[in-house]
Amino acid sequence: MKNKHVNAIVVGSGAGGGVVAKELSEAGLSVVLFERGGWAHYAAHGDDELTAQRSFPLYAFFGPDNERYRRVAVDRDGNQRIVYPNDWAYHNNAACVGSGTVNYGAMAWRFMEEDFTMKSTYGHIPGSTLEDWPITYADLEPYYEKVEWEIGVAGDDYQNPFAPWRRKPHPMPPFPHNREAQILEEAAKRIGYHPFPIPMLRNSVEYNGRPACVHVRNCVGFACPVDAKNGTQNTVIPMAIATGICELRIHSQVVEITMDASGRATGVTYFDKEDRKQTQTADIVVLAASATETPRLMLNSTNRLHPDGIGNRYDWVGRNLQGHAYCGADGLFEEEIYDDFGPGASVAICDFVHNNPGITGGAMLANEFIKLPYAYSSGYRPPGSARWGREHKEFQKANYRRNASIRGPVQEIPNFESRVEVAPDVLDHWGMPVAKISGFKLDEDIKTAEFIADKAEKWLQAAGAYKTWKNIPGTGVSGSQHQSGTCRMGNDPQTSVTDKYGRVHDVDNLFIADGSLHVTNGGFNPVLTIMALGYWVSDYIVNEWERGNRFR
Amino acid sequence: MRLKTGSLSNGITRRCFLKVSAIWAGGAWIVGVPALSANPYRVLTDQEAEIMDALADCIIPPGDFYGGKDALVTRFIDRQIGPYGHLQKEKEMYQTCLSALNRGSKAEFGRNFVDLFEEQKIVYLTDIEGGKYNHQSNERGWGRFSPSAFFNTVRNHCMMGFYGSPDHGGNKDYVSYRMLGLF
Ligand SMILES: Cc1cc2nc3c(=O)[nH]c(=O)nc-3n(C[C@H](O)[C@H](O)[C@H](O)COP(=O)(O)OP(=O)(O)OC[C@H]3O[C@@H](n4cnc5c(N)ncnc54)[C@H](O)[C@@H]3O)c2cc1C
Ligand code: SF4
Repeated sequence: MKNKHVNAIVVGSGAGGGVVAKELSEAGLSVVLFERGGWAHYAAHGDDELTAQRSFPLYAFFGPDNERYRRVAVDRDGNQRIVYPNDWAYHNNAACVGSGTVNYGAMAWRFMEEDFTMKSTYGHIPGSTLEDWPITYADLEPYYEKVEWEIGVAGDDYQNPFAPWRRKPHPMPPFPHNREAQILEEAAKRIGYHPFPIPMLRNSVEYNGRPACVHVRNCVGFACPVDAKNGTQNTVIPMAIATGICELRIHSQVVEITMDASGRATGVTYFDKEDRKQTQTADIVVLAASATETPRLMLNSTNRLHPDGIGNRYDWVGRNLQGHAYCGADGLFEEEIYDDFGPGASVAICDFVHNNPGITGGAMLANEFIKLPYAYSSGYRPPGSARWGREHKEFQKANYRRNASIRGPVQEIPNFESRVEVAPDVLDHWGMPVAKISGFKLDEDIKTAEFIADKAEKWLQAAGAYKTWKNIPGTGVSGSQHQSGTCRMGNDPQTSVTDKYGRVHDVDNLFIADGSLHVTNGGFNPVLTIMALGYWVSDYIVNEWERGNRFR
Repeated sequence: MRLKTGSLSNGITRRCFLKVSAIWAGGAWIVGVPALSANPYRVLTDQEAEIMDALADCIIPPGDFYGGKDALVTRFIDRQIGPYGHLQKEKEMYQTCLSALNRGSKAEFGRNFVDLFEEQKIVYLTDIEGGKYNHQSNERGWGRFSPSAFFNTVRNHCMMGFYGSPDHGGNKDYVSYRMLGLF
């Protein structure tokens, strides 16, 4: 049976896509929201660390599966290997309704004003493609507010002297600290840092008909047992479906953007749950498949006018892949500081995100989420510690409740060679070339990481840790859960993929609304910005639609 | 294009174990261990299981809390490399390397691995981990596997079996959770 033509297709029901589906359908556009995965609930997964989305050594419960998906990972020496979704080198986020927003740690950061003007703030960095965004914080501010109120954020930015300006407070009060975070908060104040509670996409009080958080241990990497964590799957996506004109089509793998002879998008082809190839046509196509899968889809969609992939006339699709150069420090304490009050991360400082002498950018610093038993067995110990045997077991026993870690997502300086391509000779289950990921971090990123890790270590020392050590990232390409930047927005079609509204430069009815759009990725976790961009892009489409533009 | 992988063609087959995964996704074992068999394992032979138990007790030694053996780390590994497990691609490695480990023990110490003194086992494993035997892996039956890479993998699997959820076959009586004061 032929699928009925709709006004808009949205590919991907994660952070960006969920928002767009809701905004367009509420404005009266008929929508099909495609998702390759299905619904993923707490009841089906539970508290299993070995399949949770943070390290998944057995398999990734929230997807994608190891049977149908693979990628090619290229290391710094050019060696290539095939990797599966539960390998770190796959750079997985998730594949289910809501994607990473079902199981994330839910930190809800607004980027700072400087994060949108990195090049004018710091100048050109050799070897980089550092650039300003074509939009400013002021442009996005109302949309951040929308995310905070519609999806739900608990926090109090007025305690953070470095927070960007805002017109409205967070809708829910901030979370209290556990014992570890209290100790860290007091220490931070003693050494002149400015600690404040991390804004969270979790309910500190009942909100939107769902209950308050009950502070379990297994939060990041897991679905929430009481539905107190706010993702797109329990907010905007149900709102979209409630309009009656948005169909969520799950277990549907979109493989290609179809085009007409003039190079416009006409819809998509996809494989349904039974692996039948189908087509769906629409007036508008919005890609929100993540910073890896959106460029892959574009590169796999070619015709006479777009021989190298749709939107890829100047070879910018897939370029500038970024994540964060995560760094920090760990420390051991004489006293038990663990009190099993989840999820753990709650205190942060923004003292070192910008204005660091001789450093480009920086990072927010926060205490780490509770380390689960398996994770703690392999990381988080001083360099040179026993990896097994009696000494290892004794370390576990002695220190599990006596350690703290501070981590910071160092803002990376984008480079052209860190990228997503397609591997023409490696195909997925549906016969499509898979994503190939290669690249590196600039020396500048490592320098910043060393600077930030030092601040983290000082914080732990001030808190009374008797032993501390730093964590400096390797030089390999980032991406993973914070992947972004691969279809950057910009004013110049020769050095960007979309205009400032997320519209692909030479394809009038093709939009992008996910992490791919980021020009730079801030010194913060990215999801609030991705959601805000979802509202921003939607607003443009809806305004055009209401003016009578049918994108035909 | 330089591809350093032997499994390219393998990588594009369309094997699909999704239905089986769904059984796992429930977090519980729907397919049980055959009750009548004397050997409770699906893949490992008695001898392999004995070596694995000894290895698990070196990696996580017994004391006031179970070691790897009593925590049933071997059962965890056996299930995971078995027909419904999630580490099936490691099955051949275990089948090759556990006996190679024993062969090396006889060559170096004149005794089966399980019969070595604890100190000897630790010296031997530390040498394996450090790569001492990597260059002679062929003579001792390690096949295409590097002894040090095998050790790293077993170490990781033991940690998964000991510290992961008991639903997967290890962590008997929630021993690791109790040890960390979480239970
Ligand atoms: C464990 C974990 C913790 C995290 N913690 C935080 C945090 O604390 N704070 C924060 O800011 N961020 C966090 N993140 C990151 C956050 O989840 C991501 O930044 C965000 O989800 C990315 O949004 P996106 O719209 O770009 O892509 P996604 O949200 O990944 O959405 C893409 C969607 O498209 C679907 N898709 C892809 N290809 C296709 C196709 N061909 N056909 C159909 N569907 C397709 C995918 O299945 C997916 O659902 C975390 C992520 C994880 C996994
Ligand atoms: S810590 Fe709170 S939000 Fe997180 S899973 Fe537990 S109840 Fe849900």
